[in-house]
Amino acid sequence: MNHLDDIFNGVLDGDLTAVSAHVQEAVDAGVSPVRILQEGLIEAMDEVGTLFEEGEYFVPEMLIAARAMKAGLAILKPLLVSANVEPAVKVVLGTVQGDMHDIGKNLVAIMLEGAGFEIVDLGTDVAPETFIAAVENEQKNVDLIGLSALLTTTLASLEDTLLAIEQAGLRSRVKIIIGGAPVTAEYADQIGADGFAPDASQAVTVAKALLTN
Amino acid sequence: MTMTSRQRLLAALQGQIPDRLPVTTHHIQDYFRNKYLEGLSDREIFDRFGLDAIHWTVPCRPDPANGEYFDPSQPEPTSPRFSRRIASDQWRITTETLPHPRYATIRYTITTPKGELTTVLQSNDYTSWVTEHLIKEKKDIEIIGEFVTNPKCDVEQVNREAQAFGECGLVRGHICGFDIYGQPGTWQDAAVLVGIERLILETFDDPAWVHELLEILCRRKEIFVRSLAGAQYDLLELGGGDASTTVISPKIFRKFVAPYDARLIEVAHEVGQRIVYHTCGGMMPILEDIAAMKPDAMETFTPPDMGGDTRLAEAKQRIGDKVCMIGGFNQHHHFTGCSEAETRAAVQRCFVEAGGGGGYILSPSDHFFDVDLNLLAAFGDEAHRCVYS
Repeated sequence: MNHLDDIFNGVLDGDLTAVSAHVQEAVDAGVSPVRILQEGLIEAMDEVGTLFEEGEYFVPEMLIAARAMKAGLAILKPLLVSANVEPAVKVVLGTVQGDMHDIGKNLVAIMLEGAGFEIVDLGTDVAPETFIAAVENEQKNVDLIGLSALLTTTLASLEDTLLAIEQAGLRSRVKIIIGGAPVTAEYADQIGADGFAPDASQAVTVAKALLTN
Repeated sequence: MTMTSRQRLLAALQGQIPDRLPVTTHHIQDYFRNKYLEGLSDREIFDRFGLDAIHWTVPCRPDPANGEYFDPSQPEPTSPRFSRRIASDQWRITTETLPHPRYATIRYTITTPKGELTTVLQSNDYTSWVTEHLIKEKKDIEIIGEFVTNPKCDVEQVNREAQAFGECGLVRGHICGFDIYGQPGTWQDAAVLVGIERLILETFDDPAWVHELLEILCRRKEIFVRSLAGAQYDLLELGGGDASTTVISPKIFRKFVAPYDARLIEVAHEVGQRIVYHTCGGMMPILEDIAAMKPDAMETFTPPDMGGDTRLAEAKQRIGDKVCMIGGFNQHHHFTGCSEAETRAAVQRCFVEAGGGGGYILSPSDHFFDVDLNLLAAFGDEAHRCVYS
């Protein structure tokens, strides 16, 4: 098996030691960091997403795959920076105000990062003004905001956040996707979000589709 | 013949056919009670909306022979569904209120002869949550294993309340969770103490440590379950959402959840108690695994657009002959923002999908907060029309 296959399989197995070793071997063998990233790590996380959607993988398998992917990415990052390769898309993520749940949002961050996006994770219980400040303060443009809510009682915070972003004059600058247990596509339409992701894997598909359009 | 609420609910719990579809709810939240019903009692709310009543109570007692006593730092519980904590000279709990602009925030410190454990809880009008987990280092579980107190059921108090409740409905309780903030299920208790993401990763990195923690927690729960002998409970809750397949995998369920909770169910049956296994979240990939633990009932059968994955008719077909099913109703979409006709249709749909042959109790799939009272009334009323001929 070649280095990229080893990296791909290591991520699928969630084996961070193997992924670190194989990424280093690939670098030492002269494989380009961009190729290792795209054809090793990102393709593997894409497959993880597919396996999740097919019911083959569950949250734990995603968590360990992501951990392995990050171990490989840590080796590549300095090389990518020195080669002036930067993530194409920056995403601000957070769980909305009043809601402390983070595992869904973390999984979305994992899958988006695994797909090559740069993540600004604002955490949980994030006030609308914090999302606005993040968009305004980031040195590079933010392309996408992801809002998460797990509780029926915090659904209204999704709408409040969207409204605040609109009132701040930022709505045309960013796409907004929402997700979380009680969130539906109908609700996303109702409050004027650009997209709805029913799970972390599909967040990648939705984000890519929105940004392509 | 018209059954009493208690007869109706018990018939369903025993897999039999009641006179009509039993209809009830999980805990009634104080937020709902105070915002919409001027603080009515549980009993008044059940009666007003035609629901079969549940009385929740979990009185615990210390064992003075083991040096245990009620924790003097704990305020008197505001409801019988909250237990009094059990302390000892080697397990002392102190609290400190921390400033926070939006949430009531309390740091709890447990002082033992071998060191202190701390956790921080926050609360708002709806719920409480942990912001600092109690177990920070692996060796912390040794302190817990050596010094934690072991609550036991106050059987006499349960029986007094059961006698007073009579035929009004079921008397429910839950298996004891960890002090301060815990869950009935063994894995779920561990998730609260460690944090669910870390706990999941530890099942891969250090499974022996996870098993050691689960064994400590399970032993404590087993002492509580054995103390239930003679208590006139109708149903006791075990489980919790962190064992659902929206959080963990079937593999983890089989290796780290089922062995411990199945043991507790077996002991509960030995002392004459019934168990409902609560899994708010994904259940479909582990339906048979849960049923194989031999609980008497399973809940909450949360629908997909509420964060679960239940296909109620399929669930009934797969495990309906083994356990009573409780839940399945989408309270978010049918207690607010729809017509009465839609709520009634949702009740009928649940009845058709899960009610056949009995063994089903209609209930919202977990808690609700904001409700259109007309829809709640329609929910109760329509269930009364779902009769078994």
